[in-house]
Amino acid sequence: MTSLYSLTDLSKGYTRGKESITIFEELTMTIPEGDFMAIMGPSGSGKTTLLNLLGGIDRPTSGSVECQGVRVDKLSEGKLAKWRSQNVGFIFQFYNLMPTLTAAQNVELPLLLTGLSGKQRKERVATALDIVGLADRKGHRPRQLSGGQQQRVAIARAIVADPKVLLCDEPTGDLDRKSADEILETLQLLNKDLGKTIVMVTHDPSAAKYARRELHLDKGRFVEQAQEPAQ
Amino acid sequence: MNDLTLIRKNLFRKKLRAILLTLSILIAFLIFGVLGAFHTVWTSGGALAADNRLITVNRINFTVSMPFAYWNRVAAIEGVENVAHASWFGGYFQEQTQQVQTFAVDPATYLAAYPELTMPAEQRQAFLDTRDCLLVGTDLAGQYGWSVGDTIPLLSNIWQKTDGTSSWTFNICAIFDAEDDKVPANYAVFHYDYYNEALAFNSDQVGWLIINTTDPSFNDQVSRAVDELFANSPSETETTTEAAFNEAFANQFGNIALILLFVVGSAFTTILIIVGFTMVTAINERTGEIAVMKTLGFPAPRIFRMVLAESVMLSLVGGLLGLGLANLMISGVADAAAAFLPGLALSAQVFWVGVGLAILLGLLTGIVPAINAQRVKIITALGKQ
Amino acid sequence: MLNQIGAVTLLNLRSIPQRAGLSLATIISIALVTGVLLGFLAMSNGFRATLQGTGSESVAVMLRAGSQAELNSGLSSDQVRLIEEAPGIARDADGTALVSGELFVIADGIKRSSQTEANLPLRGVGEQALRLREGFELVEGRMFETGTNELVVGEAVLREFSGFELGETIRLGPNEWVVVGIFSTGGSVFDSEIWADIAVIQNLYNRGTGVQSIRARLTSPEAIEELRAYEENEPRLNLDIQSETDFFSGQAGGTAVLIEFIGWPLAIVMAIGALAGAWNTMYSSVDTRMREIATLRAIGFSGFAAAVGTMVESLVLAAIGGLVGAGAVYLLFNGISASTLGSGFTQVVFSFAVTGGSVIAGMVMAIIIGFLGGLVPAIRSAYVPLLTVHRSE
Repeated sequence: MTSLYSLTDLSKGYTRGKESITIFEELTMTIPEGDFMAIMGPSGSGKTTLLNLLGGIDRPTSGSVECQGVRVDKLSEGKLAKWRSQNVGFIFQFYNLMPTLTAAQNVELPLLLTGLSGKQRKERVATALDIVGLADRKGHRPRQLSGGQQQRVAIARAIVADPKVLLCDEPTGDLDRKSADEILETLQLLNKDLGKTIVMVTHDPSAAKYARRELHLDKGRFVEQAQEPAQ
Repeated sequence: MNDLTLIRKNLFRKKLRAILLTLSILIAFLIFGVLGAFHTVWTSGGALAADNRLITVNRINFTVSMPFAYWNRVAAIEGVENVAHASWFGGYFQEQTQQVQTFAVDPATYLAAYPELTMPAEQRQAFLDTRDCLLVGTDLAGQYGWSVGDTIPLLSNIWQKTDGTSSWTFNICAIFDAEDDKVPANYAVFHYDYYNEALAFNSDQVGWLIINTTDPSFNDQVSRAVDELFANSPSETETTTEAAFNEAFANQFGNIALILLFVVGSAFTTILIIVGFTMVTAINERTGEIAVMKTLGFPAPRIFRMVLAESVMLSLVGGLLGLGLANLMISGVADAAAAFLPGLALSAQVFWVGVGLAILLGLLTGIVPAINAQRVKIITALGKQ
Repeated sequence: MLNQIGAVTLLNLRSIPQRAGLSLATIISIALVTGVLLGFLAMSNGFRATLQGTGSESVAVMLRAGSQAELNSGLSSDQVRLIEEAPGIARDADGTALVSGELFVIADGIKRSSQTEANLPLRGVGEQALRLREGFELVEGRMFETGTNELVVGEAVLREFSGFELGETIRLGPNEWVVVGIFSTGGSVFDSEIWADIAVIQNLYNRGTGVQSIRARLTSPEAIEELRAYEENEPRLNLDIQSETDFFSGQAGGTAVLIEFIGWPLAIVMAIGALAGAWNTMYSSVDTRMREIATLRAIGFSGFAAAVGTMVESLVLAAIGGLVGAGAVYLLFNGISASTLGSGFTQVVFSFAVTGGSVIAGMVMAIIIGFLGGLVPAIRSAYVPLLTVHRSE
């Protein structure tokens, strides 16, 4: 497998008042294309920060984030926005759907950043909603959907523009077991059948089981690298 | 779906709030539209004035008369095409409260001085030929229900006849109108001779002269020549363009424009503040959503534009509704007000200034929230949730 | 119950700073509405006060019958003499009748504010004129000398028109005049006039010995009836006789009422706009305090207390707005001098007067805006669903 991401000597810290706090230091790793990686670790271990760096919504203090030859950490804000729209799909713990838009309109949102025609967009939205099994709910507003359904709309939104990588921040953190399992199965499917590279932050060991591998982050270091889980 | 859909959905996310804001904007533009129309009519005296028309009045004041002989003497001045004269009559109909603006004039030269006054040819001829004819403006005729053929007495609160009465009997033989609604048609004129011959005092005096020059470029020359002609006489004159005369007269009532500016200014300050603060609040409430949009790859400038477009859309909706309502209201009262404010209407100019103000209001109230939205930091905003 | 209301209200008011922007917007919008209303009322009151402050019950003004205004009137010296012998007319110690025949012509003055010509009354008066104006005093300079081109000028004229400073030579029509005195009659209409010797004006304006109005001091206000009866039975007189008070208050009507007719509808329309603003603010206030209100309700506070709390907040904001508006108009406009064309066809100089009555009217309007603006949000806050306590947003 060719590598999708390579992180080199990545450090991230911030200052609170006069105190400077280090989240992690000189992290080096690669993420191969087609990977499904679960990042685990206690709160404050830097999981979400790492995800943000991968997604280009945060910048490292030092070191580099490279994705398919693009130095993500060096891109300007405008270029970064464009890069995100083409390469990354985000899935959040609280779904973050637009309350005023219908399911279909929420999914269509990222396509407004492409040059696709209205008809093409419609087709793409239909396909994406089909994949997550919500074709019959496209006219519903987020408020009219259950948590699991909302998260599936969010997944459809994340994949509609056909990005290489999906970044998931506690995607099942707010769901019951059954819904969570459905979401995780969908993610697994996206990884296996559509070849999406997935990086998922979670603190739920049973969620992590769905990944190809687990990574444990603690106090800014990888403490353990688990083997490919048995399917 | 496109950006406009998003903007519209955001704008009407809280329906009551959107309606209340639209209402307060509507009110401000209603006030603007109505006062703007009023201001147009108020200042139209200057705009309606023919550019080659001069008014000569007694230098002491325009209420003071001058000798009748001046009329012929002015006619001889080079550059003068036509001279008419007119005198106050101070007329009222039946009751003192029913004032009728009436002037004693020389019929032929008066009609030549005001070519914008229109009437059927046979009525024009009748007015010229009939000594006791009263030529009535159509708005005035409408006000008292007069029509051609009526015989009416008008009383004067200024003049007395040699027989001790103040009543003149007139025969309405013509009714005038004008193409342009703003040209006043709320007064009446009659033959100077018919009134002068009966006057108990102040006979052979006229109120003012109306001079049409052969070309506006002669205006200065003619007005200087007229005033020099009567310099050092007991009745010195002052000649100005009709526009300047009308403007000075409007100014006698005080600085109406300043008062209107105060009122419109207050109305706009009010909505600027209400809408401005509400937009800031509304965008703050949406910080999380904006962060998600940014995460999805919406560039900051696009978000900036969308927020700005939202407030401009709000202002335009309220503004256009307000101007529309103003237009309705003005059309509703235009006929009733014709006697005092002829041609009251929402002019295209006022309308477009209103539209411009609406856009400006939108930009002003949207700029701060738009900058805030553009500056939303994804991580902080998402972290806030 | 009162405790509950007190507690909730206090909580509300303490949280206003959290909504400083919107609360400020409400205050300012209500202040502006109140300001516009009070501005118009101050104009109208000022104009009315000037005209109503002019004139005395025991002075009769006589004009030619049907002439309505001094400008239109014309009377002969014979008629003045007849009035001097009329019953009901007061006389001084020497037995001279207190009767003043006066001329009234209009001259052009230059308004300071617009630099355009405006109608100024030039009154030709004799010695008796002063004795018919109570409170007449020369503020500066001296009285004109009879038979000369000298003027005395009312202090309001000096304020609003240029060129009338003491000692200045001023041209009115073909004639030059010297300003030798400034007079005051304590803010009455006469302060907007220029006075000169009647004989000089009769001569310059070709009026022979004619006058335009006659003023006469009556032995008592009731004596006007005797005078009227005398006029009726005297074929050589054909006069309209009014007390000076009536004469001027009749003139006040038109303009003052017109100003109020414009001011009130404007203020009411603007009030609707401000009402929408206040409603919006109170709506947000309830919105942001949803959880807080639900929590209070959950621990046993009544819905009524929550509603009253919201209503009081709205009323407080409106009252502050009303006071700010009234205060601003008082500071900015009270006493400001202006002039307009009065019904005598001459300029009347008046001062804006912010009266107690108009301040009350303004405050009532502000409170109404606050009440109506707070009504729906208050009802809403009484019905906040208790489950909102658990809402995460």
